[in-house]
Amino acid sequence: MNELPQQLVNGLLLGSMYGLVAIGYTMVYGIVQLINFAHGEIFMIGGFGALTVYLYVLPDGTTMWIALPLMLLGAVIAAVIVAVGAERFAYRPLRGAPRLAPLITAIGLSLALQQAVWAWYPGAKESINFPEIAGGPFEIGSVTIQTGDVFLLAVAPISMAILAYFVMKTRTGRGMQATAQDPDTAKLMGINTDRIIVVAFALGAVFAAVGAVAYGLKYGQVQFRMGFILGLKAFTAAVLGGIGNIYGAMIGGLVLGIAETMATAYIADVPGMSQLGGQSWANVWAFVLLILVLLFRPQGLMGERVADRA
Amino acid sequence: MSGVGPVEPGEGTRAWDIPGPGTPPEPSPEPPRGRLAQTYTRHRRVVLSIAAAAVLLAGGGYLYATRPEQAPPDPPPYPSQVVGITYLGPEPSPDNAPPKSFSIGVELTVQSGPQVTVLRITQPYAGLSLASVPRLPFRTRTGFPHKINITMQVTECAQVPTNAGLPFLDVTLRNMRAIQVHSFILGERYAHDLSEAVQGACSTNSATAPKR
Amino acid sequence: MRQRSLIAITAALAAGALTLTACGSRDDDGGGSSGDGGTTVVIGVDAPLTGDLSALGLGIKNSVDLATKQANKEKVVDGITFKIEALDDQAQPSSGQQNATKLVANKDVLGAVGPLNSSVAESMQKVFDDAKLVQVSPANTNPALTQGQNWNGGEKARPYKSYFRTATTDAIQGPYAAQYVYNDAKKTKAFVIDDKKTYGAGLAATFSDEYKKLGGKIVGTEHIDPETKDFSAVATKVKNSGADVVYYGGEYPQAGPLSKQIKAAGAKIPLVGGDGIYSADFISLAGASGAGDLATSVGAPVEELPSAKEFVANYKAAGYKDAYEAYGGYSYDSAWAIIQAVKKVVEDNNGELPDDARAKVTEAMQNVSFDGVTGKVSFDEFGDATNKQLTVYSVEGTDWSPVKSGTYEG
Repeated sequence: MNELPQQLVNGLLLGSMYGLVAIGYTMVYGIVQLINFAHGEIFMIGGFGALTVYLYVLPDGTTMWIALPLMLLGAVIAAVIVAVGAERFAYRPLRGAPRLAPLITAIGLSLALQQAVWAWYPGAKESINFPEIAGGPFEIGSVTIQTGDVFLLAVAPISMAILAYFVMKTRTGRGMQATAQDPDTAKLMGINTDRIIVVAFALGAVFAAVGAVAYGLKYGQVQFRMGFILGLKAFTAAVLGGIGNIYGAMIGGLVLGIAETMATAYIADVPGMSQLGGQSWANVWAFVLLILVLLFRPQGLMGERVADRA
Repeated sequence: MSGVGPVEPGEGTRAWDIPGPGTPPEPSPEPPRGRLAQTYTRHRRVVLSIAAAAVLLAGGGYLYATRPEQAPPDPPPYPSQVVGITYLGPEPSPDNAPPKSFSIGVELTVQSGPQVTVLRITQPYAGLSLASVPRLPFRTRTGFPHKINITMQVTECAQVPTNAGLPFLDVTLRNMRAIQVHSFILGERYAHDLSEAVQGACSTNSATAPKR
Repeated sequence: MRQRSLIAITAALAAGALTLTACGSRDDDGGGSSGDGGTTVVIGVDAPLTGDLSALGLGIKNSVDLATKQANKEKVVDGITFKIEALDDQAQPSSGQQNATKLVANKDVLGAVGPLNSSVAESMQKVFDDAKLVQVSPANTNPALTQGQNWNGGEKARPYKSYFRTATTDAIQGPYAAQYVYNDAKKTKAFVIDDKKTYGAGLAATFSDEYKKLGGKIVGTEHIDPETKDFSAVATKVKNSGADVVYYGGEYPQAGPLSKQIKAAGAKIPLVGGDGIYSADFISLAGASGAGDLATSVGAPVEELPSAKEFVANYKAAGYKDAYEAYGGYSYDSAWAIIQAVKKVVEDNNGELPDDARAKVTEAMQNVSFDGVTGKVSFDEFGDATNKQLTVYSVEGTDWSPVKSGTYEG
């Protein structure tokens, strides 16, 4: 049986999740040139926000058709509050500081958020089960798609389209573009850059929250560390796609996800490579790909010239 | 006697139940109303002693109920927890042994508790059949080692691993508590002897008696 | 007359009240008698108290705490009060080594319980051994820790005299699982997965060896990355390999999602693992499709051992927030072994701790023998537990239920 289609779908799903989270990295970087390492934790907070709605707000036994939108809302609210709060209290005071200061703040914030959830969320010392959508898997040819994955498959493109529309067509969106190109000039042109920065953080958080709900539905659990590795991967995806470019984030996520899946599935079968295959080597191959891409296109797959920025 | 109170009774320090010279005699206490209260006044002594006894009983009962060892006699242990089997070594096959067979000896000891009955001894491989002496089932005596001779016959060489690292015997045990199937992993010496015996029985020259 | 009966009642009530409060205080005061002077002996605990494996780690810590409280309450060693110092190793070998150094530096520490992970143990052994500080692990199952790197080649050599364990080794666990899977469950095509850690890879290797010897076929192998939760690519491989059983060497945080994703991919085959997946959390992570998954775990089922029942009751009564998990009983026994060794040393030295207490305790540990939570506790010449029982459990509903037990009598 040919497993290629199934593996492609696996990679596509993983990549969509990376992409959703990567948007937060890329947008914040594009506007304030800050690598927000706490973004993975904002993703995690989103997952716990959705879980809180399900466990403590909704009555037991609510069907997922009603619960899911509300959980999504809870996830978005939790993630946005934390992201905007982080911007206001952790990053804004350091706006003029050397670049290293906000970076270290971000790492500290990441640890603090992780440990706060670990310590205070009831039962969060362990993985907590996330509700799942009932219904069997769908078989399309030789490809099996889980019910939980359908959400991701539907929501990732839709939210990308909305984002593209928002950035291209709305006033705030164009303000974001302007601020990204040149913050000082944008300010002189009457754009409230502080507000734009807050919007960038909030939008990133919204996407992370959507990704977190998708994560919960796909893997059936959330835990306090779920944002750490996924955040790193998403950051890698953002760099791969060209950091600062929102389409790049999505493309980078998809490429990374598919590359990891293909490496897991096929490298071991290449003659002489059996030692270097399997999932434990998937990260290595993903980073080999990243290095190759950056060698030939330092700005990333879709990136603009970043040399004058960094 | 540390000087509390006046030596002579002062005014108003007289015991209250001795009527003072000038005071009118106290009216005898009115009989309380209500039947229960009347019964109480009539049988005060009985009631009070019953109450005291009840309190004591309750206290004692509480103590009894919460005493640390509410030891109902321990149920007998599970048979697998008290039975030990050690591997003794290869044994000569009995005279009437079928071809391609070999024998081993094991020693079964029940360390404590009530009598244990050995119901069945099996081994896990499809290509081996097993017979044992004494015949099963047999009863054991606690604390007394029982030697069991086990003769195995290779029925199908393809179905027997020739070098299993951790072969064991499945023994069905019964006592008052439970019937259990327990695996006794007899260790490296058994593994070695078993694989040698199987290889011997399955070697091309199978007419010869298995190597010992 | 009236006064007399009043006095009688008051006396009776007072007596009743006193006995009642006495009852109450007897339970509460338990460990409170530590104030009555004497020496304090600290038992170090090293386990992952945070992170993915914290459930197991906290179970270890609490069980050791329970053992010290019990020892203080029963005054097992006269004049000595036991305390614990619990350090978090986050399942990282580097943290484990730092913790070992820290415990060695504390002169009151006469023994340590832990760690959970065999990989962490490797980094701690030498530090403890140099200080002659005894270490008893409740959970390490890698044979090399006690029998040397060449244990499989027939040259067993104990690398460190100060290292003991109450857990059974993978040298028994993996093969027993292989026997069960091949002979009892009649599964002949296995897909073997591990997490590349000392524990997981070792267990998977001992399983594979025996499985192949028995005649089983390994239709695929895979090493997963324990940091991720996405095993869909691996699950697809498993499905297409045609395997009828999956053996996973690793721990439950990965095993649960792995089992779930394998079944979701369409391969309705059981996942089998070792004691690392024998946790209630595995069942909740694996979800409903995990029914029929198997785990081998060291020791006999709790309900077969009266001592274990008592431990469970005491643990509940002590009111710990976290469950005792797979290694609670072994941790209690590990701590108790240290307490027994200290007792022996103190008794041999006229009721006081000698100057070289650490070395003496390590020496005494070799001959410790008592009836513990998990059965008879004593150590062989390698420092391994002599009580080598193990049990195959299967997931039924929301519980692990014992399927088959075995005893190693070698």
